[in-house]
Amino acid sequence: MNSFYKKNGPVIATFFLVAIIFWLVFLIVIPQLYMLDLSFRPNLPPLLRGGPDDVYTLTHYQHFLYGSETSKDAYNYVDIGVFLDTIITAVLVTIINLCFCYPIAFYIAKLATPNTARLLVLALVIPFWINELLRSFAIRILFAGEGVINNILLELGLISTAVNFIALDIALYTGLTYAYILLMIFPLYNALETLDTNQLEAAKDLGSSTVRTHWRIVIPHAKAGIASGCTMVFMLTAGALATPVVLSSPNTYWFTQLIYQWFNMNDNWSRGSAYSIILLVVSVTFVLLMMRLFKVTIGEVVR
Amino acid sequence: MKHNLAIQAFLGLYILIFFLYLFGPLVIMSVTAFNSAEFPAITPWECFSFRWFNEGKIAYDGQRLAGLVTDRPLHEGIITSLIIAGGVVTLSVPIGMAAAIVLTQVHSRLRTIFYSMSIMPVLFPGVIIGISTVVLWDRIATLGGDGFISELGRNGIFLTILGQTCFISTYCFLIFVARLQRFDTTQEEAALDLGASQSQVFLKILIPYLMPAIGSSAVIAFLASFENYNTTVFSILSEQTLTTVIASKVRLGISPAISALALVIICLTLIGAFLYEISRRSNQRKKDRENKVKMFSEISENRLVEEQPRFFRIPKSIFVFLLVLILAVLTWQQLIKNNMYGSECIEKAEASKKSNFADQLKLLQQNAESVETTNESEGSAEGSKEYNDIFGDPNLFKDFGGFDTEKKEESENGATRSNEYNDIFGDPNLFKNFGGFDNKE
Repeated sequence: MNSFYKKNGPVIATFFLVAIIFWLVFLIVIPQLYMLDLSFRPNLPPLLRGGPDDVYTLTHYQHFLYGSETSKDAYNYVDIGVFLDTIITAVLVTIINLCFCYPIAFYIAKLATPNTARLLVLALVIPFWINELLRSFAIRILFAGEGVINNILLELGLISTAVNFIALDIALYTGLTYAYILLMIFPLYNALETLDTNQLEAAKDLGSSTVRTHWRIVIPHAKAGIASGCTMVFMLTAGALATPVVLSSPNTYWFTQLIYQWFNMNDNWSRGSAYSIILLVVSVTFVLLMMRLFKVTIGEVVR
Repeated sequence: MKHNLAIQAFLGLYILIFFLYLFGPLVIMSVTAFNSAEFPAITPWECFSFRWFNEGKIAYDGQRLAGLVTDRPLHEGIITSLIIAGGVVTLSVPIGMAAAIVLTQVHSRLRTIFYSMSIMPVLFPGVIIGISTVVLWDRIATLGGDGFISELGRNGIFLTILGQTCFISTYCFLIFVARLQRFDTTQEEAALDLGASQSQVFLKILIPYLMPAIGSSAVIAFLASFENYNTTVFSILSEQTLTTVIASKVRLGISPAISALALVIICLTLIGAFLYEISRRSNQRKKDRENKVKMFSEISENRLVEEQPRFFRIPKSIFVFLLVLILAVLTWQQLIKNNMYGSECIEKAEASKKSNFADQLKLLQQNAESVETTNESEGSAEGSKEYNDIFGDPNLFKDFGGFDTEKKEESENGATRSNEYNDIFGDPNLFKNFGGFDNKE
């Protein structure tokens, strides 16, 4: 600590310390810990907090698993169903994004001329800076009952009546894939860009097929990028709120919408916190899984 | 060779599809902003108009749809968003910078822990950051009594700034870390050896070196804050930002005014990207020229005559612009020719819609009344045949009833109705039947 002060001078060292402690402690650690604490407490009106009823309890987690005490089902099928739906969809969206983006990233990084590559990257960035809500809105216009896709299909005679894409959740899945596709492309592109083109040529000269070259050389090289892209897409998809708000059908819920409901409509903050903790645990587990699977450090995941 | 060509073609097609997927929805949304219809669509194209950018419209059924200029909540939301973004930038850039600089000074284990903690917020779902901020500050506000702290803890703008700073600082942190990796620390040492104080080193060497990173992280922080929804929706409490306004609009029903807003944002983004590209290219050219000059002076022989760079070169992108311009002019001409622009067209569309609406209303009323009459006639099934005929005639009752209740339709349908009225009275059967009716009684 002394050497830290000596190195930076008193004024600047104090500034550094204040900024970092404010951020790490007051913005990151304490809010999360307090939320964790709240999730184990009963939902009480503000006046009763700290009173004799304010004891630790597992009631909110029990509610997630078994439902309310009055329900007849053995498990809370609705909430668990929403939860599993969210996770499975997020995994699927991640896989689709990976397959969809890999060729593009490879093309931009290795095959395109530098000028084209830069233009393509710029073109990729533009939609990214347009609000997620507005992008979802664009998808909604496409898939609406009298929207463009329905009209084209009707015109072609492929369908006789308009398909309700929103009720079928097709619009939601398309929107989710659309929303975070760039967060898959950029890590992949960054990883592939560092690959030495000579390696590809050597593999080709030695008679390796295209598929084999990709499997044995390109993908192992890009694994940090793959891990990073998958993690980001999964986290953002599982924690998405804007896209489901715009695109989900009235009878489909996303897990974040469930949290939102507990929080804002039912005014049960501690249950909302408990559900948030569940989401957080899943997210962290996924990150650890990816790190283990691809043998990368957390620093390589977030870049 | 042939095989190669096929792969090339396939790849080209794939890239085309990919970019179509990326841009298609945005383009279609932009086009719908110019359709005067209430529902954002392309195919039942009504009229070309700018109404969604200006005043919006009051629909034929009395529903009010605001345009961009007249939308008060939207303007207030934008102002709130700007305030929040300003706050986030002023907090997160210094935090990110401090953390990145300190990261270069700590080592081994501490460094790993510090780094992991710093990047954690990016891995948290945005909703969770919002929720944790709100629950903590609500507690602080409760404990703080009635004073300043309680005000602060329940102020949506303040909470949103804190919540967003939590993860936007990480973006800034990562930008600064990337820049600092290329920093030559011997510069600092040299300055210190020459007798500079630590603060002088910081202000005169480190800050100027970090200037590009400060600029780009400020831009990133601003944009990230401006478009954030997941965290904001929880922490904003009773206030409204741009994104929450948009979300509530979308949830209430989709209006082309949102398309218009999106188009404005897309245009701003395009202009930004364009300016960025231009500045980058001119920088690159300047650098190239400097290198060239350096090379020539190094060669120092006049054998190689320096070729003058051509002063003005037509950039290729101009052709794209010309193409777009020609397309736009052609479309415009088509619109004018088909009379799809201007107040005339809008009035026409409005009128036809109004009459459609009136027709539908009439039909509804008709149906309702015919149900009524059938019920009545069933009730008096034993009556005479003629009696049944009169009550069975839906036109009679509709029109008599119509005069009392339907005020709205009177103006448009007055003429046809009086015709029917005449017809009924002109119908010899009617009087015959009435007569018969009286006689029987």
